[in-house]
Amino acid sequence: MKILKDKVAKLSFVALLITMTAAMFYTPTASAHGEKSQAAFMRMRTIHWFDLNWSKEEVPVNDTMTISGKFFVFSGWPETVDKPEISFLNIGIPGPVFIRAGSWIGGQLVPRSVSLELGETYEFKVLLKARRPGDWHVHTMLNVKGGGPIIGPGKWVTVTGSMGSFVNPVTTLTGETIDLETYNLSNTYFWHAAWYAVGLLWIAYWARKPLFIPRSIAVEAGKADTLITPADRKVTLAFAVGTIAIIAVSMASTNEKFPITTPLQAGLLRGIKSIQLPVPTVAVKVEDATYRVPGRAMQMTLTITNNGDSPVRLGEFNTAGVRFLDPAVAQDETGYPDDLLAEEGLTVSDNSAIAPGQSRTVQVTASDAAWEVYRLADLIYDPDSRFAGLLFFYDAAGNRQLVTIDAPLIPTFI
Amino acid sequence: MSASQSAVRSRAEAVKVSRTFDWLILFTLFFVVLGGYHIHYMLTGGDWDFWTDWKDRRLWVTVAPIVSITFPAAVQACLWWRYRLPFGAVVCILGLLLGEWINRYLNFWGWTYFPVNFCFPSNLMPGAIVLDAVLLLTGSMTVTAVIGGMAWGLLFYPGNWPIIAPLHVPVEYNGMMMTLADLQGYHYVRTGTPEYIRMVEKGTLRTFGKDVAPVSAFFSAFVSILIYFLWHFFGQWFASTKFVEAA
Repeated sequence: MKILKDKVAKLSFVALLITMTAAMFYTPTASAHGEKSQAAFMRMRTIHWFDLNWSKEEVPVNDTMTISGKFFVFSGWPETVDKPEISFLNIGIPGPVFIRAGSWIGGQLVPRSVSLELGETYEFKVLLKARRPGDWHVHTMLNVKGGGPIIGPGKWVTVTGSMGSFVNPVTTLTGETIDLETYNLSNTYFWHAAWYAVGLLWIAYWARKPLFIPRSIAVEAGKADTLITPADRKVTLAFAVGTIAIIAVSMASTNEKFPITTPLQAGLLRGIKSIQLPVPTVAVKVEDATYRVPGRAMQMTLTITNNGDSPVRLGEFNTAGVRFLDPAVAQDETGYPDDLLAEEGLTVSDNSAIAPGQSRTVQVTASDAAWEVYRLADLIYDPDSRFAGLLFFYDAAGNRQLVTIDAPLIPTFI
Repeated sequence: MSASQSAVRSRAEAVKVSRTFDWLILFTLFFVVLGGYHIHYMLTGGDWDFWTDWKDRRLWVTVAPIVSITFPAAVQACLWWRYRLPFGAVVCILGLLLGEWINRYLNFWGWTYFPVNFCFPSNLMPGAIVLDAVLLLTGSMTVTAVIGGMAWGLLFYPGNWPIIAPLHVPVEYNGMMMTLADLQGYHYVRTGTPEYIRMVEKGTLRTFGKDVAPVSAFFSAFVSILIYFLWHFFGQWFASTKFVEAA
């Protein structure tokens, strides 16, 4: 019986080891950027990205693509996030699978941080050059100092070709053209290897003699001073002087080779030009808003007043990059990511045209699995349970106007 | 063989066992220091050591020596006071640099494709050699802290300049001037380290004009002296055998 027990125990242990080893070899690709776990209010009440366009869905290595569009810096910016007075237009990709060849806000190159104003809309463009083959989720992103990275919508882009063929030529102000991908690499290896060799020599000098036990006995016997010989002192002095000499000579030769160098550049760009959207002629008042947890639907009661001179209809509700459309009014023709597009997700109790001067109260429902998939429903757990988004109204001629809404949200659980 | 008899039967055998023990201890010391020091340096130096566009003339020069003199001071205390061995600092840096290179090559380049010329580690070897040399030549912890610690801070920037200077060559990019290191930071996208974190040149050091690096190095050297004292005592305490001595 004991033998049987021992065998079972042994086999169990072997099985455990095999399982653990197998688990270590299971390494699926992590391709998300945590966009779904970012607090819902961060995505709904900070930066609203719209009119986004990814210029290509497939790009060969060394070829370029752009992401362009607009973002609205929400006026009801949450108190729990620092205002975007120091921000950086970034791009959400899994490491440098593309290089960022350029980025612009309002037509200005923004390799530096920028100061953005609440309530303003900015036009942006990011130029990417493909570097590593694969399928990559490419997101818009804005880093806000004190707020962290605020990630926008992402779309899958395929890079084809071979990374070995990637080149990144740059011409310096001293007239030299280099490949930034490999520039200075041999110099770096050389100096690190050289200094490492000096360090190894120093250890080797001491390790050729007995190290621990005899020396410990000598120290404990009060003969520590006998362990360091005059030759040791001379060698040590040579190492010290040699080190300083190498530094002095290498400094001088480096300065001779690179007489023109500048400090690292960093800074804040103020006065970034925003775009002036037409003042909306439609006024919207949110009477109430509820989120029905079982139905994955947000219902709003809106009083819409048309102060313009042409009839309008509500076509789209956009929040956290998810677009809920009423297909009778608006369709997407930009190739917007499927998982962020609810093409029939917007229902309006009466979506006939609202005539100029007319005011109407309607029930608007935005429903789609995206509420759950993108964890926007989690906003009911936020410290400030409010929702926000953009409403797009269209007239018969296809003219669009944008109205922002921001109101408390009440969850219903039945 | 009874417990009172020796395990070795001749002087030659004793020497052989002693040498075997030497290599075992040295091997173990190297990798223990590599692990502990690497984690310490990544947590305290972190991005200042990771990226060329963070290797600036002010904060990198200040931060890196201060947080890196720790383990060398502690290991020196152990090896010097117990064995009169003067390679504590160098063995630490050999371990740290090996760990860092493995990390940068396999993780930064192998997993996430950042070019090695953008994420190589700082060179700390010159300061380590001088620190060990001062300890041996003076045999004094105080002098090593003051002279060696000072040298540790002062030699850091010039010891790295031959490696980073080529990356400080200016380039004009779409109408803006930047260094090649800045351009690396801009090109090779990092989502978690936005540009504004690098805005470190603030305050009154600008009164020194363009000669900021030497002033930063002197400040770093002074603090390195203090940190050396502290960690030297940690090392002495850690190397004590009184915890395991029989009553």
